[in-house]
Amino acid sequence: MAAVVAVALSFPSMAPSPYELTVGIAIVNYAVLSTSWNFVGGFTGYISLGHGAFAGLGAYTTALLVTKADLPSFAALFVSAALVAVLAVPVGYAALRVRGASFVIVSIALVLIMLLVFQSWSSFTGGSRGLVVPRPFPGMLRSEHHEVFYFLFLALLAVALLTWWIIDRSRFGMGLKAIREDEDKAQSLGTPTYTYKLVVFVVSATFTALAGGLYGLWFGDLDPVFQFSILSGAYMVLMALLGGVRHLYGPLLGAVIVGYGLEYSKLEYGDTPLHLVFAGLLLGVVVMFMPDGVIPAATGLIARVFKTGETSIREVTAAELREERGQGGAEPAPGSPGQKREVKQ
Amino acid sequence: MSAKENEQGQGQEEGKEHGLATVGLTKAFGGVTALDDATVSFRHGRVNALIGPNGSGKTTFFNCVTGMIRPDAGRTTYRGRDITAKPPHRIARAGIGRSFQLCRVFPRMTVLDNLLVAVRPPNLLAQLAGARKREETERARYWLTRMGIEHLERAEARNLSWGQQKLLELAGVLMSEPELILLDEPAGGVNPALIDRICDLVRELNAEGRTFLIVEHNMDLVMSLSDHIVVFDRGRPIAEGPPSVIQSDERVLGAYLGV
Repeated sequence: MAAVVAVALSFPSMAPSPYELTVGIAIVNYAVLSTSWNFVGGFTGYISLGHGAFAGLGAYTTALLVTKADLPSFAALFVSAALVAVLAVPVGYAALRVRGASFVIVSIALVLIMLLVFQSWSSFTGGSRGLVVPRPFPGMLRSEHHEVFYFLFLALLAVALLTWWIIDRSRFGMGLKAIREDEDKAQSLGTPTYTYKLVVFVVSATFTALAGGLYGLWFGDLDPVFQFSILSGAYMVLMALLGGVRHLYGPLLGAVIVGYGLEYSKLEYGDTPLHLVFAGLLLGVVVMFMPDGVIPAATGLIARVFKTGETSIREVTAAELREERGQGGAEPAPGSPGQKREVKQ
Repeated sequence: MSAKENEQGQGQEEGKEHGLATVGLTKAFGGVTALDDATVSFRHGRVNALIGPNGSGKTTFFNCVTGMIRPDAGRTTYRGRDITAKPPHRIARAGIGRSFQLCRVFPRMTVLDNLLVAVRPPNLLAQLAGARKREETERARYWLTRMGIEHLERAEARNLSWGQQKLLELAGVLMSEPELILLDEPAGGVNPALIDRICDLVRELNAEGRTFLIVEHNMDLVMSLSDHIVVFDRGRPIAEGPPSVIQSDERVLGAYLGV
């Protein structure tokens, strides 16, 4: 744990080039996004494919507040997160009425609506021509700029993880997890499920918007096609599922694996859609072989290895005995039941 | 416990007070009228039973009363308060707990956590406090011990046997401190020894002041356990009374035999 933190903190000084640093930023950004997603997905089991909308809104609102309202960059970031939080209330109010697959579809609708709005309303948003976000630190060198944002993303990740941890161990979190297990049952035991879902949905949207806004300030150029893409939401889901949605560090681990893979295939194969193939294959592997994610699969494996190594000599001997008998009876011994029958017939 | 005090305090003054009551409760699913103008009341402090042939509306009655389903018409009151169409968690907090027809627990939570879900935080800030407070854990252990499954406290609920899950579900309901407990087929799929155990528990808990309303097909259990029986047929009550009366009621026999 401490080692991971140490590596994360010293990464900028170790990174051989600014490019590696930008990959690091992208990965930490993914980690914040999927940890934010996991407030809803992990606790309540509601799979939102539309969380990209909140990231995009966070980015655009921050950018517009800087360019149109002349707010300082970081004031704009927090105002934008607050605005998205307010918007998430009616969105959640409507979307959380339906469960399961219906919720997934409703959540996608939000991204598509936002994409159309931000593309068409080009006089305000810049449309497909893009929107340039002024840099928060104008005099700074490019590499310094990356380094500062790397640490800002890391700080945001720490806050998101801390919040997730606090909720995880709280009564509120217990209620949310009960919703994931059996929503009717939770309600019949007195949990105000709808309010719980809505609150955690807003928390999730807020963190997602903060990540999106920070991305906007760092990257400096926004395009609706990328900001309001189904893909960004799908990545959050993939990363969280891959790592393990029930675990604090699940989405973070997933983000490191998927984020690195995405950046690697983008670098190797350029503008081909191969990185999507990679993501799709990974999703298939996760769903088929590790439905609970890497963390539970790994701990399960370790537990199993540990068990056979340590505990029952009896179990091993029983298995060995059976094996011995099976082999012994197969060829030389006429006493095995299978052979006897053959002889008789 | 609080339910007991409540019972002793109010039960004596208003001895024959009605606990749960419905007036004209009606619910149709498409063309099927599951509840048809059902007016019925159950007295506080008793073990009540609700029986009737399959499809007579018993479970729909449960679901309407506990807010899981919104009735098309009619009113539900509990101890004089209107609880019609209130959300389920409000009804739970009004003191009505329920079990489900096919036993439902939180499968991937531990046995102990299954009970702790039912703890009601006293205020908003307490929502963020730790979920495993000592006195609540102690209370959960108390109920697990009474159910005889305290040794399973750390097991995941999905790994329990069917009978153990039934007991766990009951423990969870009790953890939410209900005055009135609705049990939907408590003996369904349960072995005879455990049926006896569940019956004993119901008797003990009733003696401690909890009211029961039980839907059950096992007639031996219903007749031996309940003080008062209401018989449903085609979505409305057709008879009610103590077991001895119900057993010899011709309308009841007719409903069951389909005459």
